Parts: sequence; C-alpha cells; structure tokens
Amino acid sequence: MPTELVVPEAGTRELSYAEAIREGLAQAMQADERVFLFGEDVGVYGGAFGVSGDLFHKFGPERVIDTPISELGIAGAAVGAAITGMKPVLELQFSDFVTLAMEQIVNQAAKIHFMFGGKATVPMVVRLPGGSGTGAAAQHSQSLEAWFAHVPGLKVVQPSTPHDAKGLLLAAIDDPNPVLIFEHKLLYKTRGPVPEDAYRVPIGKAAVRRPGRDLTIVGSSIMAIRAAAAAARLATEDIDAEVIDLRSLRPIDLSTIAASVRKTHRLLIVYEGVKIMGIGAEISAMIAESDAFDFLDAPIARLGGADVPLPYNPVLEKAAVPQEDDIVAAARRLVREGRA
Amino acid sequence: MPIEVILPKVDMDMDDGIITEWKVAPGDRVRQGQILFDIETNKSVMEVESPGTGVIRDLAPITGEPIAVGTVVGWIDADAEVGASSPAAAERAKTPSSSATKEDAVGHAATSATPAASVEAATVSPSDSIRATPLARRAARMLDVNLAGVTGSGPAGRIVEKDVAAHAGRAPKSAVAGADRLVPFNPVRRIVAQRLAESARSAPHFFVSAQIDMGALQAALRHPGAPQSAERPSITVALAYLAGRVLALHPLLNASIEGDAVRLHARVNIGVAIDDQGDLFVPVLRDVPAHTLDDLAREFARLRAAVRAREIVPDDMRGGTFTISNLGMYGVDAFTAIINPPESAILAIGRTADTPVGRDGQVVLRPMATFTLSSDHRIVDGVTAARFVADLREAIEHPEGLS
Repeated sequence: MPTELVVPEAGTRELSYAEAIREGLAQAMQADERVFLFGEDVGVYGGAFGVSGDLFHKFGPERVIDTPISELGIAGAAVGAAITGMKPVLELQFSDFVTLAMEQIVNQAAKIHFMFGGKATVPMVVRLPGGSGTGAAAQHSQSLEAWFAHVPGLKVVQPSTPHDAKGLLLAAIDDPNPVLIFEHKLLYKTRGPVPEDAYRVPIGKAAVRRPGRDLTIVGSSIMAIRAAAAAARLATEDIDAEVIDLRSLRPIDLSTIAASVRKTHRLLIVYEGVKIMGIGAEISAMIAESDAFDFLDAPIARLGGADVPLPYNPVLEKAAVPQEDDIVAAARRLVREGRA
Repeated sequence: MPIEVILPKVDMDMDDGIITEWKVAPGDRVRQGQILFDIETNKSVMEVESPGTGVIRDLAPITGEPIAVGTVVGWIDADAEVGASSPAAAERAKTPSSSATKEDAVGHAATSATPAASVEAATVSPSDSIRATPLARRAARMLDVNLAGVTGSGPAGRIVEKDVAAHAGRAPKSAVAGADRLVPFNPVRRIVAQRLAESARSAPHFFVSAQIDMGALQAALRHPGAPQSAERPSITVALAYLAGRVLALHPLLNASIEGDAVRLHARVNIGVAIDDQGDLFVPVLRDVPAHTLDDLAREFARLRAAVRAREIVPDDMRGGTFTISNLGMYGVDAFTAIINPPESAILAIGRTADTPVGRDGQVVLRPMATFTLSSDHRIVDGVTAARFVADLREAIEHPEGLS
C-alpha cells in the first residue's frame, strides 16, 4: 500500500517501516556522538518490534542502552541526559506504558525550556509503538497521541510510510525540544521507497497524498493509509476524495487542511484514538473557526475509535476502530447525502 | 373584518410572483404602507406595502414557487380581532412542498392558535429558521440570492450550495462529477425565454450588416473637449446617443407592431442589453435625442448599478422602442440579435479591430467594427434598413456633435 504514496527519489530502495527507522537511527548516531538509544530490550534483543535490530552490535552498549523495566526511570534519565547536552532517543515498548512516564514528559521535558528561559533545553525523542490490530488487548493497543498534542512544549508526529518514518525521526533528533513519535505496530512490516541519504521530513507539514475535488479526508499514521485505499475505491463510484496525511499532530498543518476544505467543501477526519474529546474534535473546531468555515457545504464528519477499552476479541477489536470500509461509507454518506 | 393581504399585480404582464422574503413575522403589528414582503417578478424584486393597520397572521410560506396574482398570502387583524384565525389561510399554510417550509408552517399555525405566545414568536423571523450550510449562505451572498426562496435538498431540507446555484442558474462549485443536473429557470430567464421565443416565431427577421470606421468616435471620446463627468461615456453609450439621433429620422425603425397597424413612437427610448451573472437585463435610456451624452452616461451608470445590485425596477426596463446589444468587449467580430418584442429592430455591435481597408488607393489599417441590424420585415423593408445603417455610419464616422 504505501509504495503508491511516495514518489521515489534518487538513491531509493524499498525498506520496511522498521528498517527505515533503524537506518535513520544509525545515520543520526554516526553523525552525532551525543545521540544514544535508551529503552527496555532495545539492545541485545533488538527491540520489542525489532526496530533497533543490530544497532547494539554496531554501536556498543554505551550508545544502545538496555534499561530496567521502569518507564518513569527511562524518561527521567533521558530528560537529565538531554539537559546536560546529550540527545537521547528512547523507546517505550508499547505506547500505552507512557502513562508511567507522564510526569517526566509532561511536567519536566515539556516545561524546562520555558521555565529556564531557554537556558536549558530537552532535545529528547520518544518513540512510542501504538495502535490496535495485533490482538494485544486494552492495555497494549491504545492511541494516546492526542494527550500529548494537548501539552504546550511537546511536538507529536505520526508517520504513515517508511519514507516519513525515517525523515521525521531525523527531524525529531535535530529538534532542540522534546518530540514524541507515535509509530504504528501494524506498519512496521509495510514497505516503501526510502532514500539512502539522511534526509529530513519537516515537522508540522502535512502531505496531500491524493488530490481530489469532492471531499477532504484527513488522517495520520495507518488512517492515512486506509484513507488512501478508501479514496481509490471511492474513485470508482465518481467520488473524488482528497487525502491529507497529517504526519504531524503538533504543530498541526491547519493551512493545508483549510486550503483543501475551501476546494472540496466537505471534511472527513479519521483517527484511531477514541473519537470523543480527540484529535478530530480539535481539527473540526479549527476548521469551523477558520475562514474555511464559509466553504463547508456539509457538516464536518469524524470517524474515530469506539468509546470503549479496546477488546481482545479480534472481530470486536476491528470493529472498534475505523476500517477502510467505514471510511468509504462515511465519505459516500457525506458527499451523496450531506450527512456526517 | 380582517384585511386580506393579496399578492398584487405590480407589473403589466405579470400573472404570478414569488414571495422571496417576509419583512414581518406573524404577530407583528403593522401600519398601513409598511413594507410587508418582497416579490420576485418579471426581471425585478418589488416591495409590497401593507393594505391596513393591525396585527399580521397566517403568512403564506416561502416555497420559491410562483403564486398567482390575487392570491391571499396573509391576514391583518384590527386590535380587537387578534387571535381570530382564518381557517382557510391556516389550511393553506399547512400544505407547503418542502420540509423546510413545513417547519415554518407549523410555527405559524402554533402562533395563530396561541395568541398569548404570539409576541414571543414574532421575534423569530422566518429567515432565522432557514437551514443552510455555510457554503450555501456564502453562495447566496455572492449571487444575491434570498435563501428564503430556495428549496433545500439536504437532510431535513437543509439548503446546500447546489440548491443556491440552481436557484441562480449557476453551475454549483461543489458539484460531484458525473451527474446531469436539471436547473429550473429563474424568473428572469423565464421571461427572456418566453419573449424571445415569441419574437423569433412571429417576427420575420432579416439582417443588414456594415463595417464602420470607429476611429473618429474613439478620438472624439478621448478628446479633451469630450464630456468629463465622473461617468466617462463608454462606446456603448456613445453609440446609443448617436443611434438615438439617427432613429429620430427613421420612424419605421422606432416603431412597434400592433395588430394590423404600426405604432410610430414619438420618443426614442433605447434599451441597452446588459448581462449580470448570466441574467439578461435591458434597461432603457429614455428620450435619447433630448439628452446630452453626459446625461446618458450618468443615466446608464445608474441603470447598470441598479442591475448589479438587483434593484432595477420594471419601470426602468419598460417602454423601449429600439435595442442595442454590444458584445465587442467579449471579442465577438459580428453577430445577429433577436428583436426585443414588440420593437421593430435591434442593433448588434461587434468588436472594434484594426482591419486593412482601402483608403485613397492605399491599404491602411483602420479600427473597424461590424454592425448588424436585425429588422422585423413586417414593418421594415431592406432599403429602409439600409438607409438607417448608412445614416448611422455617417453619424459614427463623423461624430462632430460629440467634441
């Protein structure tokens, strides 16, 4: 699927999402000795999802550090290392465990730059495998990115392709402030073209994956992939959907969404997190407050996760988050009937 | 006795009108002479005054459909009679076509049934309850469409942009590709269609064309002695001015057919065709030979502004005796026009283009424009038309009176 979404550049090969991240980590570590990896089983074992792979053997135990099972400890040590001039890249095995690291990320990492008048910064990157679809049940399947997008001082990105996974990682490592990367567990094995060089994908810039005239579908991570697949199906029934892959939730690229809405007059927001009080509410409100409001010819529609802890049962798990069929149906309803 | 509010005949050839907006709500106190509602008719929107003083009720719903002249569209009760409902009007109000107006109708019926609540209900005007998307509201502002007259096709009768576009005769911006659309005529388009089809059927048209040198007229309009009013005369106005003087010498071209007779008009009133957002308007410059070019430029500017604001009244478009239509600004070289009935001729003007012509044995480039006169052969013969065109050429190529 993602192979259709990115225009190959010179020197590109096809890599998986996990391999692209690993290549980005290796290039950053090679270029800057302050960069180090930090997390549970990131070393010898190669990471819970195999992302760090052989980096332990390439860079050694001082730069690829296995930690005890304490997310609060990992995050706290990373904040301290970052303040003293290091550039930690930490991995939380499942993004759900970020609840334990909340104090260090929200109360420390996000605030230090401001509270010390810029004299201290926290150039820290947190990698968080998130999302459902692996049968990992309610405590290992959540999409909690909206929590962090709510906090001033944090940046939040959500790559959907191998290309963006590497490019956003390198941009995040460059960034002098904390960046959270929500990777999707179902995307690690998806493949796509990735340039060899250490390119950056700018944080805060969305990508229009497919231009269209009849409605705008906004999503990020796996929802951008599902939206693109849904758009291809909608095209066969004369519905021309524009697909925007947000890539970054914070800062959010409102102008790209608003420009699209001014053109298509209809907006469907798709996200895996729980629908209510989520990222879709914020995008919806931003568009309603913007000058794109006057160009809406139908209510803004949201497709989001069901208001339940994610079920273990695979049928129920699938039913609890937007699937390609749901996006097709919602787009059709919005365009044909004017209903959210 | 309650006073009937009827849909009045405000234009001679009017059989029906569309109520586009109520300016009052049920339960409002109205004075005789106060504006009650707008009707759209025959190329214009007119305000209708109250026939009496009292409390108004049982307003006909706004459906966008034409209502016959003389239909009762509301009632006014003198103070003592407030609350006495007219069953007939209430019944009418309950049979609208769209679901949006059903809500209105229910609101009105409720107001009639509970007079105590009528003061409160009156503060909610019908337009407050219109369901429309932001894009539809924006389109209505841009196209100067009153949403009260638009029937919504969305959920619960919500007006979406394509409904406004259809009402205004425009292609919707939000159109989904692939589907044909059936767009009903708006009132302007209806009258244009009716009159021009009638003209094409009944008047035997013939056409006389001439290429006329526009150089002298262009120079005269640029001349410092030319009128310097704020409204600098356009070529179109100058041509109306010159045509008016020539028409005074050619009564058969300033005439109309009436049964077996020809009415030769004492005055020369020239209609000038104007397009506004796809609608054709022909406002009339009156008694052209009696006015200066400056006067005509001012009057034409007023008429054009009224058309653009959609405030043009039927009186401004009535009584024409001849019409000119200029498509030169669109790059048209020459065209033929259909006579605006019951007039006897129409002048179609193409663009002015530098054209090689013979002058004193030399080929020279001159700014030439093609004029095509369409005449009704029942009134005008070929030679009559040719003489008019020859005099018009003389007037345009030697516009001494202008400078």
